[in-house]
Amino acid sequence: MTAENRSTLSRLLKWFDTRLGLSYPLLRPVPAYAISPFYWLGALTVVAFIIQGVSGVIMLLYYVPSPGAAFTSTQYIFDRVYYGRFLETVHLYTAYAMIMLAFMHMMRGYFVSVHKKPRELMWIVGMFMGFVTLGFGFTGYLLPWTVVSKSATDVGIGMIDALPPQISSLISFLVVGAGGDATELLRFYDLHVIVLPAVLLVLLTAKMYMLETHGISEPPGSKKDAGQIPIFPDVTIYLLELAAMFGAAMLLVSVIFPLNLPPHYTPELASQWIPQPDWYFLWIYQILKISVFEGLGLPIALGIVTFVFILIFLLPFIDRGSSRSIAQRPIFVTLGLIFIGEIIVLAYWGLKTPGQTIPLEEASLVLGGTAILIGSIVLGAFRFFTGGPKRTSSAKTTTHSLNTFGATAAFVIIVSFGALAIGTSLSSIVQIILNGADLISVTRLIMAMIGLACTIMASLTLLYMLDRRTGRLRTKIAFFERIVRPWT
Amino acid sequence: MDLNKLLVSLLICLQCVSMIFLWTLDATNVVSEVKFAVFLAVDLLSFAMVAYGYRKLRGGQLLSHIWILLGSLGLVVLLFSGLLFP
Repeated sequence: MTAENRSTLSRLLKWFDTRLGLSYPLLRPVPAYAISPFYWLGALTVVAFIIQGVSGVIMLLYYVPSPGAAFTSTQYIFDRVYYGRFLETVHLYTAYAMIMLAFMHMMRGYFVSVHKKPRELMWIVGMFMGFVTLGFGFTGYLLPWTVVSKSATDVGIGMIDALPPQISSLISFLVVGAGGDATELLRFYDLHVIVLPAVLLVLLTAKMYMLETHGISEPPGSKKDAGQIPIFPDVTIYLLELAAMFGAAMLLVSVIFPLNLPPHYTPELASQWIPQPDWYFLWIYQILKISVFEGLGLPIALGIVTFVFILIFLLPFIDRGSSRSIAQRPIFVTLGLIFIGEIIVLAYWGLKTPGQTIPLEEASLVLGGTAILIGSIVLGAFRFFTGGPKRTSSAKTTTHSLNTFGATAAFVIIVSFGALAIGTSLSSIVQIILNGADLISVTRLIMAMIGLACTIMASLTLLYMLDRRTGRLRTKIAFFERIVRPWT
Repeated sequence: MDLNKLLVSLLICLQCVSMIFLWTLDATNVVSEVKFAVFLAVDLLSFAMVAYGYRKLRGGQLLSHIWILLGSLGLVVLLFSGLLFP
């Protein structure tokens, strides 16, 4: 090869390389602090997806996606295929683990601000992946064609009709097809085994590419020059270690709690069955069961759930502050914890009250109380332990001298009392609107309002005391001084 | 002999035993799925422990011998508990 040819070839290669990044070191080293399970929750989700894929492909060899044969083929896998029941159990529990890991991955990212510049698109792609993961759960649930799965899926599909006609007809066509059980099952099967895995792989590739470009998000306050660990063999071994432990846990859980196949779906049996979705959709199901959202209120409930999802999607454009530290983002941390708390409360409540309509005042009391309780405790904890984001050196020293336990206990009591007062006020107001004013309702409302006023006053006094002690108080207020003097 | 090498050898032996048990399973017997899961779990966990030891030593960090020994003991118990199932 002549020098001229070599130069042309190298120029050509360089041209491609500049555009495709071929010589870019793929799988670059990771910082030393990333050797922690919290940094690999996404990777474990992928491991769960791989186990799902392998067990799912084996089950595909026997499964028949038609209403007449879906249940019998599933039963055949359970009873006749060697290790079939075990395989089904592993597939289900790994699906649960995948959803849980994806959720934990999202919430961890939220708290440590991975969504901030330049990783906004990574967050959005991750959210799409989360949706696809939930889609796997929704579509896979129907496939065994049991009375449990079919009844719950019918409730889910029924909700599509509550959406605006243009959207509902499109989703209905995509999910259910022309109508009828056969088309519905086939659509769900196609989505579960072809469309969703393909979409997830595309999104995963995109996310991996962006991860390679931006690297692992560094924890707030970490040093940029932290030691780097090569992907091979160190990080690879660490990942295999985590994957082996995860796989072993799934195997053991599957044999300790083997799956039992619910009865075959028949319309007669379904009419006696209370439909209940799987645990990861229970929180949405519980919102829909609140009395005010039943019937015509359903679009409003769906609108609220959609709004929550939109907020999470657009988080990088909402939480735009420069600080990534948890200690300096009290509002977002509090909102995140309230979100987790509400989801747990709603899911547990949904599990305990299948098919029951939840009165509005009860929902207000429980959900409002949960939000107020968590919010106040977290914000209070921020104030006690960090002294707020703009802490001065003098404040820092006095914060530690506070009787933290006593102040926290006082806050918890005040907040619990406040939650009760708000709940009682709301239920009294609803009672008066629905049944008219009577002596008991009005008295209860007045008492609740007095209680609420006392709670607000007690909270303000406690905050005043704290600011007074930490030296952050600029103006002394005579009214509060009279109250706090005996305590100080 | 270096204690670290001894512990890793012990874990590899454990992994080999679980592999042998796995091979001896009657794959045409539905009931043996518990044994299969337990033996495979022991295999995976002992691999994870070997990998942990290797990673720690490679990084120049101290390896907790007590934890490795306790973990190995736990795995032996798990392995033999698998034999109790029909």
